[in-house]
Amino acid sequence: MGIINYAPKILDPIPGGKYVVNLVDYVVNWARANSIWPLTYGTSCCAIEMMSSSMARYDIARFGSEVFRASPRQADLFILAGTITRRMAPAIQMLWEQIPGPKYAIAMGACTISGGPFIYDNYAVVRGAQNLIPVDVFVPGCPPRPEALFHGLLTLREKILKETCRHPWHAGRPKDVSTMDRYREAAKTWAALEEMKDEEMAEARAKFKEEHPDYKSAFKPIRIKKEEFPEVPREPKGTAGLSQSELFAKLRAEFPKVTVHTHSEDPIEDVVAAIPADCPLEVLVEPEDYLPMVKFLKENPDFDMDYLIDITAIDYDDHFDMVTMLRSIGKGHKLFLSVQLKKDFSISEEKRPTALLATIDSVSSLYPGAEIKEREVYDMFGINFKGHPDQRRIFLDKDFVGYPLRKDFTHSEIIRRPV
Amino acid sequence: MSTLPPGFRIQRETNTEEFFINMGPQHPSTHGALRLALRMDGETIVELVPHFGYIHRGMEKQAESMSYLQYIALSDRQDYLTAIQNNLGVVIALEKGMNVGVPEKAEYIRVMLQELGRIASHLVFYGCFGGDLGGQTCLLFGFKEREMIHDILEEVTGSRLTTNFFRPGGSRYDVPDTFIPRVKAFLDHLEGAMHDYERFLSKNIIVLERSVGIGILSKEDAIAYGCSGPVLRASGVNFDVRRANPYSIYSQLDFDVPVFQNGDCYDRYKIRIAEIHESMKILRQCIDKFPKEGPWRSKEKPVRLPVGRYYSEIETAKGLYATYVVAATTGEKPYRIHTRGPSFPHIAALNKMVQGHKISDLVTIMATLDPVIPEIDR
Repeated sequence: MGIINYAPKILDPIPGGKYVVNLVDYVVNWARANSIWPLTYGTSCCAIEMMSSSMARYDIARFGSEVFRASPRQADLFILAGTITRRMAPAIQMLWEQIPGPKYAIAMGACTISGGPFIYDNYAVVRGAQNLIPVDVFVPGCPPRPEALFHGLLTLREKILKETCRHPWHAGRPKDVSTMDRYREAAKTWAALEEMKDEEMAEARAKFKEEHPDYKSAFKPIRIKKEEFPEVPREPKGTAGLSQSELFAKLRAEFPKVTVHTHSEDPIEDVVAAIPADCPLEVLVEPEDYLPMVKFLKENPDFDMDYLIDITAIDYDDHFDMVTMLRSIGKGHKLFLSVQLKKDFSISEEKRPTALLATIDSVSSLYPGAEIKEREVYDMFGINFKGHPDQRRIFLDKDFVGYPLRKDFTHSEIIRRPV
Repeated sequence: MSTLPPGFRIQRETNTEEFFINMGPQHPSTHGALRLALRMDGETIVELVPHFGYIHRGMEKQAESMSYLQYIALSDRQDYLTAIQNNLGVVIALEKGMNVGVPEKAEYIRVMLQELGRIASHLVFYGCFGGDLGGQTCLLFGFKEREMIHDILEEVTGSRLTTNFFRPGGSRYDVPDTFIPRVKAFLDHLEGAMHDYERFLSKNIIVLERSVGIGILSKEDAIAYGCSGPVLRASGVNFDVRRANPYSIYSQLDFDVPVFQNGDCYDRYKIRIAEIHESMKILRQCIDKFPKEGPWRSKEKPVRLPVGRYYSEIETAKGLYATYVVAATTGEKPYRIHTRGPSFPHIAALNKMVQGHKISDLVTIMATLDPVIPEIDR
């Protein structure tokens, strides 16, 4: 574009020169606006709709954008398809820097406009792409239909057609305006407009009331017909393998300290027998019993728990509940082990949010799949796993402060509550 | 060798020069924002370390300040290719807590939409598998039939992708009268289209060369890493939640669970094609048995769960999708909701599969695992 931008300076003084400039402009713009090559980039749901739009039914090739480039250096357009997280943000800025100008960005979907469904109570999502890079067109929707993306593309096309060599493209700057500020601004404007409308309409309304004193609106809201539905009882579907009572009896024979969580005074066997057939048995395990028990469950032929479904934890005031979900592929029964880990309150209160508050044995030597699950629990709750081969944060940056799934996790700067 | 980057573990003495390659987070064949760190010996992969979290959206934290019903909408955005199936997974857990049953017609609606979702997801797999191997035509093919499913889903649920349809006790709406004829017409069309699909890839020499014997996952490893769904069944383990713990009305339906023995990329491709055929079989049975009359949901109740812990598991197109709901107080808000997605263990097992292969094989293996990254990171 460099030479063309100097064309007006050289050609305009010549008689008839500006017509030549206009003609060149027209040709250049026609070429640019009809071959906008997007970058292959997508993080979540919107990416699938972006793919759909380039496929047979919708056919983005009609607008000259079918050439999705894998390298940013060959692309003109950055379609921000999908949620932008704090961890992804630097990568997006780097991609934007790598695209040669003139370059354009379309923010596709609610997440890239404002954070969308993830705007409140969220510590991980960037609320709006325009805080990172300059955005030309916003396409609302969650996710937007392919037609909506095409509308955005055509809007961008109009914008490109307006760029002449007298008003060339220039690199915009990212606006660091928080979404909340813009939202409040918009809400204020809206309220003012409503007030203005009310004032304007007051006279007309009074006049109408005078002329039609007994007017009744004929408008009836359309509602979905209220139907009466019967109450249907739930039938628990039985599970294969050992029943909960058998599992509990056999486990208790080996580990006498095992119980289930209950508030009733009944004998523990009756409590276990009362559990519905499709709810897996969840037993309370002492922390020191945990590793031997998992080993026993895996190796004992009666149990044969060879499959680890998941490991997760729950945060309570004074303890964590770590739940290990096991299953036997061959037999079909499931058993959940719930370990109560008392929080280490000897740590001073200031250091507690960033400190590892509890320790438990790692089962990753028995189940290789447990490794990533335990890393997740470590990352989210700050539980230390003894004997874990590679205990690092898994989802969050290594310099992230705090453990987000703890109930007392707060971060006034990045977590936002509804106003 | 103490200078290895984080995550790499294999200690080896070698004369050749080793180097590290970064793949992602923005890469066309990592199926989203996943970053893989590769340790290479020449062109051969020695070790692979996945780095997650580039699309970690903090859903579980957010769910703690949402109501149960709002979480159904969030579950759409986890595995967006099987959004309708995720809805059911959450709803079954809520039903266990509320102790409500589901009328027969609603069960049929559920199963039919489940299987349509499964076909849609496998068609995306077909497209991406072909596309990653260099056959862009497959991409166009797979999405062509998928749009027809989206038309049906849009008519029923009001949305193409993020359906947010099921509710405890049934669904949001009844299905329209055109639902059954449209599914029937779609199945008749897909029957012919599947013939084309298989002729396209199943015996294609390029596909055979690039997938047979590549990325073998043994039966023991598949179980140990917690793989599920087609990946587990391609390794010779007959495990399908629809058979092992039948939910909804799957116990009344007649279908096979395809199992393949080799555990390589080709088997993982074949098993998904076989599953599309099984899903079509289930859909045809449902069309025959579909009750014309009768309630399509049970009595509407406020969604309040008593104190307790509720667990549900279903078989989505990718594998075992489990929801674990903890209610600490009786009310509309969960104390904690945890989701176990099927793709997470698959990526953990990736390191086992790629060792000794080339980077181009990694692309094939990633395609046959069919991961959805937002469901891993949540």
